[in-house]
Amino acid sequence: MRGRYSKPFGQAALAAALAAAVWGGEAPASRPARAKEALGLPYVYTKWEHFTKKDGLPNEHIFAVKVDGPRVWVGTEDGLACYDKRTGKFRVWKEKDGLPWRVVSAIDVDPKTGDVWLGMFGGGLARFSAGRFDHYHQLNSGLVNDVVYGVAVEHDNVWAATTAGASRYDTVRDKWTIFTEKNAPMEEIWNYGVCYNDGLVYLGIWGSGVLEYNVATGRWKDYVDPDGEMEIDLYRDDGIVHVITTGVSYVDKILWVTTYFGACRYDGRHWRGYYQHECGLPSDFNNFVKGRSANEAWFCTDKGLGVLADFPTDTWVKYVTDGDRHDGYAFVQRGTNVVAKVHTGFNLSHNYVLCVDFDGDDAWIGTSEGLCRAIGEGITPGCVRRVKKRTQAAPE
Amino acid sequence: MKAIRIGLAAACSLWLCAQGLPDETVSSKKTAKETEKASPAKLDIHTVLKKINVKSPYEAPDLPLKTNRVYGQTPDDLHPFGGVAPYKRHFLVQMEYTGPGRAFPEPEDVKTVKIGFLGPIVPTVSVATGGKSHEENLGVMMLRGAKLAIEQANAKGGYLKRHIPFELVVHNDNALWGASGNEVVRMAYEDKVWAIMGSIDGANTHIAIRVALKAELTWMNCGDTDPTFIETNIPWVFRCIGDDRKMCYILIDYLYRKLDLHRVAVIRSSNRYGRFGVRELRDGSRRLARPLLVEMAYQVGDTNFDLQLERIQETNPEAVVHWGDAREGALILNAMRARGMNQLFLACDRCASDEFLKIAGKNAEGVVCAYPWNPDRKDPKLEAFRKAFRERFGAEPETYAAHAYDGMSMLIWAIQEAGLNRAKIRDVLAYRSEPWHGVTGDIPLTAALDDGGEVYLAICKQGKWHYYSRKDLGIPQGSFKWVRSLALQRTVK
Repeated sequence: MRGRYSKPFGQAALAAALAAAVWGGEAPASRPARAKEALGLPYVYTKWEHFTKKDGLPNEHIFAVKVDGPRVWVGTEDGLACYDKRTGKFRVWKEKDGLPWRVVSAIDVDPKTGDVWLGMFGGGLARFSAGRFDHYHQLNSGLVNDVVYGVAVEHDNVWAATTAGASRYDTVRDKWTIFTEKNAPMEEIWNYGVCYNDGLVYLGIWGSGVLEYNVATGRWKDYVDPDGEMEIDLYRDDGIVHVITTGVSYVDKILWVTTYFGACRYDGRHWRGYYQHECGLPSDFNNFVKGRSANEAWFCTDKGLGVLADFPTDTWVKYVTDGDRHDGYAFVQRGTNVVAKVHTGFNLSHNYVLCVDFDGDDAWIGTSEGLCRAIGEGITPGCVRRVKKRTQAAPE
Repeated sequence: MKAIRIGLAAACSLWLCAQGLPDETVSSKKTAKETEKASPAKLDIHTVLKKINVKSPYEAPDLPLKTNRVYGQTPDDLHPFGGVAPYKRHFLVQMEYTGPGRAFPEPEDVKTVKIGFLGPIVPTVSVATGGKSHEENLGVMMLRGAKLAIEQANAKGGYLKRHIPFELVVHNDNALWGASGNEVVRMAYEDKVWAIMGSIDGANTHIAIRVALKAELTWMNCGDTDPTFIETNIPWVFRCIGDDRKMCYILIDYLYRKLDLHRVAVIRSSNRYGRFGVRELRDGSRRLARPLLVEMAYQVGDTNFDLQLERIQETNPEAVVHWGDAREGALILNAMRARGMNQLFLACDRCASDEFLKIAGKNAEGVVCAYPWNPDRKDPKLEAFRKAFRERFGAEPETYAAHAYDGMSMLIWAIQEAGLNRAKIRDVLAYRSEPWHGVTGDIPLTAALDDGGEVYLAICKQGKWHYYSRKDLGIPQGSFKWVRSLALQRTVK
């Protein structure tokens, strides 16, 4: 059964809405409208599709989502699901179907073999290949702990971020390596997130900031909050905003980091911190982050989805849903300045957002109350002038 | 645009309250002006229940959030980087749970109301010591306190809405390879507990609460005094015992503001308890321009402390502070006295115990320990607890038993009020505005959902521990003038 679409709202309609928002009564009078016109506006998703148990999901608490060509793998609190975009149907695996443990908290796909690697919340690690689950856990492998929060495929290696360290499994040589405070600069060993890209593995570690592992050299580098204090952030842009990190994403040589205290971006030389009160982050409580480019990242928070759509202009799109009314809005912000409020119809399945993955112009978003797909049509990255003509005079 | 402005005003008001106003509560739907006028809200349980009994998974309760002006009751002169206003201060506004959990209906098929217990009760291998674990004596007392609370609740009818008993689901806290995380997963998904209480070891408890966050389970901590436990911003985590931060502050005030000492040395265990326990003492001493002379560490289980004491003796301290277990603390004290070191000996709360007195003997006279509560307090509730504990277990309850009794009683109360819904159990505790009157005293929960109650000093006199408040001993305290964060200054401008 196909998921439910939200109210159709194409980019043409969006352009009209944005025009009204930017040039109409919703634009703050204190800021010249021409300045906003010069900066342009980001793309706003106005077409959404929603999936629940009625559509075939085994459970609506979505911990992980991973796009794999025509398939979308979904890790839930009670089973694994695979959505076939061609047929619009879900296939589900539960414990009775061989899934080693019910809670699937992380997913990655090996691009070389097509194997699906599953991190399980208290159930270890599993490889799903050719219809068979191979189960790796503390007692039969080098997996350091069965509570796996993150998984990432790096060449022939699979990295697992566990609650008691990180494990790396060499799938070709069948060899495990454990990383803890004994052999890596982990002040604490409570790994939370892991990602791989461009020769670097990043571990987001609860209480220990971010660790970078250079695959070529085998060397570690650590990033922690320079002030070393839990209760403050002394300077915003001096490093990671807090050592309780929850997510890492590395793309186009930019590192995006989330914490339960805010988020940040690192370009290899400069840090930029983000807090709810000064940008389009819906909340400082960030569950996950996924970078789309050097200038765009999607932040999964407990109060909605924050998309930094254009880093140079600090332009955000904040998606907030009104689930009861199956309605929702996107707030386009430059810093704290709301430049447009766009009616999107029902957008996020729930404002408690847990995970996201990109699928071309689309994005799949897991929440604690269902899965949704943001459908992109004619996306242009960054901010562009989407409104060519005034549709309404700006009030002066 | 009006809606946006109202939203921004509400966010601004929340921010203002978080940053600069006295302790009070704030609703996210109030304007800044309204918020500034707001007095501390006294929420009654009926109001809380009315607001949290939502049927929609999308609805979060519109209830006032606790805010604190200062985190951890830190005096101005003990703030980190005291000369610099930080960009952001954390833990000043109560965390919210915004997920769909409140809409889950109460299940019909439960036969008992399960509450989890995680504590060190069976000896295992300890990562901290590299050998045998060492906290079982504390864990067993904690378990007894929890059991007593469960048994008393069952004697009064159990879970009153359904007339079914409470059941304590006991799991051992094994410190090896993060096993505590696995235990919490089992409790959450197999045992299907409604809330969990535990544990003592700081590292294990950190592992456990991360699982509780993902599984959305209320966690009550009654034995881990690690300050960083609560500094994780998890909306599901509570603590009913004073932490090492506050206990360091009272020792700092006693050492420097009352006794006016200048030369203090520290000896501590090399595990997380020792490492994080003395952190505020170390930092506070430095911030008061009286940096510690030396900080020496030992392995848990050591019996010979010559190396550490020799180094300490060379610094000629006026006082020595120990942070570690009672056994090692007493052995160190004996070794000090044997070496002719007659300095004032101070210690953490674990040393204010019978075991310490037994090993230290006469050397214990005059020892001063920080302590999270006042067992000398005259309170019928405390006396009734002691009597019941003696009758049930044939032993005197100590601090871990008493705090476990309080913590479990709070969970039972929350379940009785909220019903069998994990999110609502969390809510009634989080939005409780009155202190919990427990056997360990009043437990007011701060914005960080930590125990904001008073801490004490235990002083050994004639072979017995006697407990004193700041007021009893006339211990001065630093001021709370406080400096705004830079972010707030910019917001105000």
